[in-house]
Amino acid sequence: MAEPSTAALRSFDEEALPHLDTLYRVALRLTADPTLAEDLVQDTMLKAYRSWRQYRPGTNARGWLLTILRNTFINDFRRRKHEPVAMDLEAVEPHAIYRSVQDTDPEGTFFSQIVDAKVVEAIDALPADFREVLALSDIEGMSYGEIAETLKIPVGTVKSRLFRARRQLQARLYAHAVEMGYIKPREAPR
Amino acid sequence: MSRLDCEEAVAHLYDYLKLELTPDLVEEVRTHLDRCCDCAGHARFEQQFLQMLEARVSKETCPNEVRARIVAALRAAARGS
Ligand SMILES: [Zn+2]
Repeated sequence: MAEPSTAALRSFDEEALPHLDTLYRVALRLTADPTLAEDLVQDTMLKAYRSWRQYRPGTNARGWLLTILRNTFINDFRRRKHEPVAMDLEAVEPHAIYRSVQDTDPEGTFFSQIVDAKVVEAIDALPADFREVLALSDIEGMSYGEIAETLKIPVGTVKSRLFRARRQLQARLYAHAVEMGYIKPREAPR
Repeated sequence: MSRLDCEEAVAHLYDYLKLELTPDLVEEVRTHLDRCCDCAGHARFEQQFLQMLEARVSKETCPNEVRARIVAALRAAARGS
């Protein structure tokens, strides 16, 4: 395949490179491994550069790059990493942690006691499909529509995955907060 | 006019806070939250949670040495090596 020209490289620098931090953060969440994340971002950028002619200037470069990142992850990286053992996702309907804290900490101040590294660890312990939508929505601020387009899944699926991802993450953070004594445990309502 | 019960209102909370509901549903959720202290408290909690997530994790940036490595790889690709 012919390499793009110098002019193409310049427009790639202007339109694609500014999204490097986003790609890196999403790669971190997808791989849950900094070394793999670095390789994933580099492979993604090289692939994106080689197919830069297929990108229409001024359209959604971030979405376009994230689609490549995702395909690269699925094709080349997924089997290289150990997935966390998924909880039985269908069986466990995650309950709202608010019900457990509404009497003791309704504003959720316990969240602010949890250190950043633990928040990241809790996200990375979620199943891959959940980490992905959570990263795109709640960390990168993409709209549900943009996520659906990037992941090639219906908006309804984005919504339901996000709902479960957020609830599961809350449950993990709550369990950690209880363990650390940031908050007193309370029986979950039946 | 249809009224949401608490369970329905809570099911829409995240999408309400993320501005992802249709105008009709926004209105219904807002009406419910105005009248229901319990769900209004729940909404504040979920808002805290979402803000915490964004504030904590979106700070991470691509390390400089990784950025440099990637730019070098792109330059090499441009030279056709
Ligand atoms: Zn209510």
